[in-house]
Amino acid sequence: MGKSPQDFTRLLFDKEELFDKPEPLKGVRILEVCSVVLGPAACDYLAEFGAEVIKFEGQKGDQMRFVTPYAYFWKGMSPGLEIENHNKYWMGMHVGNLRAKELFLELVKKSDVVVDNLTPGRMAKWGLDYENLKEVNPGIIQLHVSGYGSWGPWTGRTSYDAVAQSMGALAPITGFEDRGPIKSGVWIADWITGLMCANAILSALNYRERSGEGQFIDYLQVENVIRWLDWTWLYSFKTGKDRKRSGNRDLAICPSDLFECLDGQVALAAFSEEEFRGLCQAMEQMDLYEKHPDPLERLKDENARALLDRIALWARNRRVDEVEALASRHGFAASRVLEAKDVYRSEHFRERGAIQEYEDPLYGKMVQQCYPPVMSETPGRLKWSCRPLGFDNRYVLKKILGLPDEEVKRLEEEGVVFQWNPKVPSQCPPPGWDGKSGVKLG
Amino acid sequence: MDDSKIVGLAAHPEYAKWAHRETNPDDIRRKPEALDDTVVLDVSHGSFAGLFASSLLAEMGAEVIRIEPPGGDLARKMTPYGMMIRDAGLGYITEGRNKFHITLDFTTEEGKKLFQSLAKKADVLIHTFKSGYLDGLGLGYGRLRESNPGLIFTAIHTYGQFGGDAEKYSNQPDYDILDQARGVIMSVTGEPDLDPEVPEKYKKPLKQGNWMGWYAGGAWAAFGIQMAMLHKRKTGKGQFIDASPPEGLMAISNYVMQYFHMSGQQMPRAGNYDYAVFPYTYVKCKDGFTFISGFSDPNWSALCEIMNRPDLLERFPSIKERLTPGNQPTIQHEIELFTAQYTSDEIHQMITAYGKRPDKKGTVVTGRLETPREVLQREHWEARETFVRMNDPHYGEILVQNSSFKSMSKTPGRIKWACRPIGADNELIFRKYLGLDGQKLEELKENGIV
Repeated sequence: MGKSPQDFTRLLFDKEELFDKPEPLKGVRILEVCSVVLGPAACDYLAEFGAEVIKFEGQKGDQMRFVTPYAYFWKGMSPGLEIENHNKYWMGMHVGNLRAKELFLELVKKSDVVVDNLTPGRMAKWGLDYENLKEVNPGIIQLHVSGYGSWGPWTGRTSYDAVAQSMGALAPITGFEDRGPIKSGVWIADWITGLMCANAILSALNYRERSGEGQFIDYLQVENVIRWLDWTWLYSFKTGKDRKRSGNRDLAICPSDLFECLDGQVALAAFSEEEFRGLCQAMEQMDLYEKHPDPLERLKDENARALLDRIALWARNRRVDEVEALASRHGFAASRVLEAKDVYRSEHFRERGAIQEYEDPLYGKMVQQCYPPVMSETPGRLKWSCRPLGFDNRYVLKKILGLPDEEVKRLEEEGVVFQWNPKVPSQCPPPGWDGKSGVKLG
Repeated sequence: MDDSKIVGLAAHPEYAKWAHRETNPDDIRRKPEALDDTVVLDVSHGSFAGLFASSLLAEMGAEVIRIEPPGGDLARKMTPYGMMIRDAGLGYITEGRNKFHITLDFTTEEGKKLFQSLAKKADVLIHTFKSGYLDGLGLGYGRLRESNPGLIFTAIHTYGQFGGDAEKYSNQPDYDILDQARGVIMSVTGEPDLDPEVPEKYKKPLKQGNWMGWYAGGAWAAFGIQMAMLHKRKTGKGQFIDASPPEGLMAISNYVMQYFHMSGQQMPRAGNYDYAVFPYTYVKCKDGFTFISGFSDPNWSALCEIMNRPDLLERFPSIKERLTPGNQPTIQHEIELFTAQYTSDEIHQMITAYGKRPDKKGTVVTGRLETPREVLQREHWEARETFVRMNDPHYGEILVQNSSFKSMSKTPGRIKWACRPIGADNELIFRKYLGLDGQKLEELKENGIV
């Protein structure tokens, strides 16, 4: 090879070749009967890696067309809708409608996965439960996700992201020691549950590749939050106590905390003996190291508090970049807290393809995150953004179902499929749209 | 289980019964496993991102060989207040599930050879070292793929394996606090910037209480690995996966990036408010905190009716008033005047009763901020077997969260055992994969290699 490992790695991931590389989920067709964040996000993750996701909306449209910060709209579009909807095909069709249901089942025959985040049992009420889907396509995978799942004492209770954070005890363990619980600044319980739904779907696809068999998946949002809370449960079980809020201090790793510097905050961690020695050298306070080289000793509450106080005193007179440089030199971990603008402007993330820039035919230049991980053979990619209501009806009906134009027209006239209401701007194309750009099979 | 427990509050009881039959926890162990043809080497070091990734694969049946240095991995010591149960902390016991725990010093020549032989037979390798570390040992992707082109080589690290920051900070280890700090979400999480009642010293970034950086990093890695497995099943080809946990958080940081792109503005920390939906917040109640929502106009009307506060409906009639940042603390404090008089259960009952009224104006949702001990007592989680309690031969009476993939009808995720002591499976794995006999293993032990 004769190259440095990083050069070798950079070549493997060369973003110039992005669109020359295959997509891992090419040929996987997903029907998305979802709204808001969780269900659409689960499908979005798969769409950026090549799955063909067909999203169905009712007359009102996805609720996220109306959820946006400070009621701010951009070119008529709701940023709330944009973030969990990329590379998708948009159909205006209420799948509970009798005629629509027939079309939907025709699509099921040609699809791999059906995802819904409706009230548990709603799909069944429409005759679209797993037994029905399986009849037309024995290999179909159906995933339903809801707060508490399809059965059990609390099935049927409504969940939102914030409810999952509270009922699953995430918010109660988040916050400063002497203050109240804090909700995440983002809809974290939606996003991470969507990610685990995508994982469940992928394992079902792997199994189907081996066996030819599909299956039904019930996924529970609140339970997912519970799953992610690391040692919280074993700790309560063994001690009979609740895990306490501890701000930015990690109760299981010491030192690991956020410290005030002259010009901002720095996150810092140094747990192993070697890393901790490096930190103490950087601080020129080797007495700290000699006192507690053993990580387990440092974790005892009294020791931890004393140590963190000493680091806080030291950090207070340093600049953030100074601490970062010392960390790199001495082999411990330290970084500033990145904000949206830092990431947006970062060369590092662009080089990695974690932030991608592309030209959307409806909305123009977009700069945004592409889902991780970065993959050398089958990387993810952004192709287009969210779309007006019913924007791709014709494409789906003609290309996938093979319906002739007259039939498509009839379905439109009968209102089985529909498009944006001109009176609702966030359902519509951007103002000044030429009537052609972005249209597939117009 | 009796029907009432299965059906709960279901709008469609027959569906609930059907779903229970399909995903009954009692049947799990008799069903097949999705990934039981997959061999995974987890050589992660001091990182629960690596451990969580391999846990997810192990729950779905993959044979995960967890490789630690002879003294045990640093992650075993990452435990609250230093609490250990024999050789493992509470976090490690939680994520040791279904794995074979072996030791191997692959910095030695002989250890390297054993490592290469194992890597030859694996489908997936997961590591969390600094970039270039394995290359330095001659165990980088370039080398390993020569003898195993199908290998899915997965590197998890804060700064990633290439890019400007990966070079600049290449000597730094990966930690959850760093992953969270670089993942943008932390910058917008914390006490509300715009609430005058919050003391200034609390107005700073706040991490999620759990190891969110690591768990997200691990879940994204597993996501990539499963896609790579699918690709490998079709083409035989492996690949290099570079999973940087901060990228896993910033990719799900709502619209903070998009809002910056579109408006040139950044969003402040909102605390328990939400600048896109309000009220949608945590409020004080008589016995702790509870969530309450009434965002859209009909739902806000319903909430005002439940609270008997028509004046609030008049003052804040549309989402425009309710999404004005300055108004949110005011509305919050007004709602708390009402909720502070009741327990979270009483509030839930009032809201449920209102929801059944034929003249209801909209839907209000609530949910208690449950403490961990409360969660552990709930009938629903007991029915769904959300937790597994066991008497482990090495770690005694323990309780860990179950696989959240357990409600898959054909290939449910499961826990077969919780964790294993350091090197407990050396004999099995080295014999099974490399054909080493007892004598050879003794030699390796004496030389400090296993």
